Amino acid sequence: MNGESLIFGFLNVVFVLLISPFFMIVIKKVKAQIQGREGPHIIQGYYNLAKLFQKEVIYSEYAGFISRIAPYAALSIMLVSALQVPLFWIPEEELVTSHIIVFLYLLVAGRLLIALLGLDAASTFGGMASSREMSLSAILEPVTVIVFATLVYVMGSFSIHEIFKTALTTFTSCSPTVLLLSVPLFILIIVETGRIPVDNPETHLELTMVHEGMLLDTSGRNLALFELAHAVKQTLLMAILINIVLPLGVARDLGVVALVCGMILFLLKGTLLCVIIGFFESGCAKMRFFQIPNFFMVAFFFSVLTIFVEVMI
Amino acid sequence: MILTELYPSMIRICLILVLVSGGFLLSSRNLKKLVRTYQFQSFLLVVIAICLGVRADNMVLLFVAALTLISKVIGIPACISYIQKRMCIQQDLKFSYLKPPGALMLSTCIILLVYLCFGRILKTLYSANSLFFVGAVVGVSLVLMGLIAVCTRKMAISKVMGYLSMENGVLAFGLFVTELPFFIEFVIIIDLIIVVLLTSIMTIGIDSSIEDYKSRMQEFHLWSDEGGIS
Repeated sequence: MNGESLIFGFLNVVFVLLISPFFMIVIKKVKAQIQGREGPHIIQGYYNLAKLFQKEVIYSEYAGFISRIAPYAALSIMLVSALQVPLFWIPEEELVTSHIIVFLYLLVAGRLLIALLGLDAASTFGGMASSREMSLSAILEPVTVIVFATLVYVMGSFSIHEIFKTALTTFTSCSPTVLLLSVPLFILIIVETGRIPVDNPETHLELTMVHEGMLLDTSGRNLALFELAHAVKQTLLMAILINIVLPLGVARDLGVVALVCGMILFLLKGTLLCVIIGFFESGCAKMRFFQIPNFFMVAFFFSVLTIFVEVMI
Repeated sequence: MILTELYPSMIRICLILVLVSGGFLLSSRNLKKLVRTYQFQSFLLVVIAICLGVRADNMVLLFVAALTLISKVIGIPACISYIQKRMCIQQDLKFSYLKPPGALMLSTCIILLVYLCFGRILKTLYSANSLFFVGAVVGVSLVLMGLIAVCTRKMAISKVMGYLSMENGVLAFGLFVTELPFFIEFVIIIDLIIVVLLTSIMTIGIDSSIEDYKSRMQEFHLWSDEGGIS
């Protein structure tokens, strides 16, 4: 590992931690504006996190060690994932090994931890939400694998760094297959981050909540860590879509101007994607639980179609 | 030079969107969206026909495009939307045999099957130009996807959308492989219009006798005593 690798890792992790709460708030703001409300202030996400970090952590009397380590482990997993996904700087050489299967396993590990946390507090809501999450995962995982397999097939590499580099050098966004692939990747962002129509992140209604149900017994600093991990996960999935469909402006070398431009452009592209997500969420109703696989199936259909098109054309 | 490269890529994108719209016709429950998707699918075929016509300097293809535009993009969707509006049907929630996820899975299998079969039959014929091979695969796949829609949908109005989608598949296949004579294309479109009208009549009065039919039409505000059909 050389100095450049350390700079790459440091910049990627710090940048993702800084912008993730902003993207969460942009989506909330867009949804609020569509509903005719003013919505939260653009830096409200940072205030919320700061407030939660200062609050006391309370554990359930039944909580075991999982409740204590899960928040730190969840964020650590996401930060390791952040090392795998270059956001605004794609160096010539692969500085940190980034394998798409490792990234997939990290996502799954994060989900497993949160499901265990839901069970650990021994509350009925947590257990119910964990059960729902695992039921959804059983259907979602094969679809996620197919979507990433399609990505690998189209781009011709397992390395996320190589995939982004191919997208950047060949400017594949004009290719019909990449446009087609963007649909399942977008659905994956919605599904993996528990957004409408799969789950509603803003409700604590017992009949509908999945992700929020598992975090119901979490408080203070632990909740802040989970919120941050969730935001980082969303940013990373968004980065995969952005850097494949619209890789314009990504820095290629280690220079201050190139890096700053790359950061600003990524921020703009991410904000645009958040606006699209906000519009999409506002235009959908929450699906009934047993209807959710239909939504996954759309992603599956598009992925398989992408492979066919790639083979045929 | 730019134009010769532009047309094939436009046709490719349109063909992919045709397949996507076929998938949407299988999975959507909203009838208004179904009609719009059919309209969009037909419009894509118009674009394909224009591109092929201009590229090959073939006037017949341009006539086919014009005919498709008038009948399938404007006429038939307007007729179905009118009937749907009068009958106040918004959703088609009932499916037989297969629900949308199953239908989508089956359609992906069908695309694969058609590709494999055509790979043996047509690949040698069109090895120089893969566009025609893709067009043939998409056309036949669309016919079979339309057939799935016909079999899995319960409401007559959405079954008709399946039939119409099947015809779009035939048109796509005809455009790329066989080049149907203009006269046959014209007759097919007249048949389609008759199918749409007949289905409208059947949808309203399938469970009523001829005597009750007038009152049934009045019930859906399709008939007024003063001026006949409104």
